[in-house]
Amino acid sequence: MQVGTVVGTATSTVKHASMEGWKLLVVQPMLAGGTTPDGDPVLVVDALGAGTGQEVMISSDGKGTRELLGVEATPVRWSVVGIKD
Amino acid sequence: MRIGKVIGTVTLSRRHPSLAGAQYRMVVPLSLDDLTCDEEPRAEAIVVFDELGAGYGCRIAISEGGEAAQPFYPELKPVDAYNAAILDNVSIVK
Repeated sequence: MQVGTVVGTATSTVKHASMEGWKLLVVQPMLAGGTTPDGDPVLVVDALGAGTGQEVMISSDGKGTRELLGVEATPVRWSVVGIKD
Repeated sequence: MRIGKVIGTVTLSRRHPSLAGAQYRMVVPLSLDDLTCDEEPRAEAIVVFDELGAGYGCRIAISEGGEAAQPFYPELKPVDAYNAAILDNVSIVK
């Protein structure tokens, strides 16, 4: 899991069927300190309703995301697992 | 999944039999700076397995690594970059 900052949202109509109905956030992963960016922004499936500007915990566990989406054949890896207070 | 910009296309003359039936795009992954001030992306371009028909200049969601081959489950394909979605709108609040 990694700390990240939600920098925006992304919308898509032509996409993989398993992503239908899921909110897509653009999250900039951060190093543990929470201030220095770490790599490129990633698209994260959000089930907890995190908004832009919030700090979230994102998980790169594909298996967990597949269980969250309920689809075994999905290209999604990242999912929001927590919103930082 | 990273955000990438389609900068070209790739045609194959000889290929692994399981790689048939899709198009291949040259895509450059975008960093946060590329997304906000829309300058020319400097990252290294990668070839993406595309079933959705992304056009030139489109922004797409690149699924990489194990998750790129997951959509073909249980069939096995030697794919490590897959076009999961054509992004209509990416709104970045800096």
